[in-house]
Amino acid sequence: MSSSNDVGMDALTEPYREALRRGELVVQHCKACDRTIMYPRHLCPFCYEDQLDFVPGPTTGTLHSFAVHRVGSPTGFEHQLPYAVGIVKLEGDVQFLARLWPDAEGDWGHYTLDGAVVFRPADTEEMTARPVPWFGLPG
Amino acid sequence: MSDTEPVFIGIGEQPSGRYPNRPFMGDLVRVGVAAVKDAGLTTQDIDTILLIPCLHSPADQADLVFSRIVEELGLNKKVKCQYMVHSGGSTSDNTIRTAAGLIDSGHAKNVLVLQAEKWGSAPVTEMIDMLTANGIPREWEKQSGLSFNAVGALIQQRYMFESGSTPADMASVCVALRDWANLNPNAMYKDKKLTVEQVLNSKMITDPIRAFECPMLADGACALVLTSRSNARTLGKDRVVRIAGESGVVSHYSIGQEREVGKLGWELAGPAAYEAAGWGPEDADIAEIYDSYAAVLTSGLEGLGLAPKGEAARMFARGEFSPGGRLPTNTNGGLLSAGHTGVGGGTALLTEGVRQLLGRAGERQVDGATRAVLGGSGGTYMDSQVLLLEGVSA
Repeated sequence: MSSSNDVGMDALTEPYREALRRGELVVQHCKACDRTIMYPRHLCPFCYEDQLDFVPGPTTGTLHSFAVHRVGSPTGFEHQLPYAVGIVKLEGDVQFLARLWPDAEGDWGHYTLDGAVVFRPADTEEMTARPVPWFGLPG
Repeated sequence: MSDTEPVFIGIGEQPSGRYPNRPFMGDLVRVGVAAVKDAGLTTQDIDTILLIPCLHSPADQADLVFSRIVEELGLNKKVKCQYMVHSGGSTSDNTIRTAAGLIDSGHAKNVLVLQAEKWGSAPVTEMIDMLTANGIPREWEKQSGLSFNAVGALIQQRYMFESGSTPADMASVCVALRDWANLNPNAMYKDKKLTVEQVLNSKMITDPIRAFECPMLADGACALVLTSRSNARTLGKDRVVRIAGESGVVSHYSIGQEREVGKLGWELAGPAAYEAAGWGPEDADIAEIYDSYAAVLTSGLEGLGLAPKGEAARMFARGEFSPGGRLPTNTNGGLLSAGHTGVGGGTALLTEGVRQLLGRAGERQVDGATRAVLGGSGGTYMDSQVLLLEGVSA
């Protein structure tokens, strides 16, 4: 369900989504206290200053946990099954939910928790339709 | 204990499961009247009604907010106030905090807490989409296709990694809850047995969670009555249930922002509650902890000190939380086997805790149950709430 709040939220979300559509990952940054922030916020949650911009994020992180959807999905994702999502932690104390590429065997059995994962965006069509970070195994 | 101390004096419950012919408002009225009778009161004695929300229908939710239940109960111009408290699955904990504060301060005399849900009879796809739109940030996470089962799977994957628990250990959590449900005539799965093999042979839904590890959406209704200890004495009650301690913590909104998905906020929630109660987890006779997925329950038991770190699932496998076990846990069958009645799943666990401490749990009554640890959590396990309850003489 959308709400009248969504229009106003665009100003906050658009730079983040725009970068993802270009195949880049950015994180929010507070110029006042020099901390990185995820998810993007209206005021810095550390110092409450309003000096926020976006900076390129680290492209490697660690996998905190993941889940593989095999049966059942929210409406609109049926054709993507199976697919995996994971919580990725980056340097600078930020984390978020990401999509995970299948491993070399076409499944997700090679992922290990606390193991390294690398930002690797999907194609432009996918990133435009669903702008979320995609991560995969290194190499 | 002070005269104004809030105590539970009555409960009511309707069976959980799929009951398409049982209307929502009818369930609320029946369960409310049952709890008031159980308390030894009449509906005219109720001055405050606190409502637990429903999730199956915005229209029914609006009826709740706008006092329909007062009219249905014939209490027009009798009730001082009726309103809703809402924090998803932890609503029961926050409602009891609210009721307790109202009674202790003298703002309320007799409080009726009411809950009903029609999840079991609602269209499943609609409910799943609704869950996906609630508590999952649409700006940052919805586009990833995160389902609610995946929220449980993220927690379970991490829990298994940190604890070294096997799929069979996790399955044994569901089996222990089913063994309890088989003793509960109000449970959705009162008649169906479950084995570890059945769980492990069921279809993988969202790794590492299999079909028989997912909660089934259910219809259900619960009600509780609270009053002051002095009122309870006047009513001639011999046994009542008091709130010995409470605490909690809100740990996140989005699951992607939880720093430790295998632990959640439980470790931060417990200590203040035990300190207030003057007793510890080792003194608990029963535990009733939110269990929409096995690892939510095992992380809760460990975080609240009821099991050593990383050991809860293996203890389930050894039967330590089963009927006849060392610490009877989720004695109604929990959300996983009594039925997931939405926000009401926590209310059902609370009702069961009070029932056990009043000594009225029938076949599954835990002998001498005096101290109960209750744990609740809402949304994407955004909070960890604790109520410590004690059965005492009025």
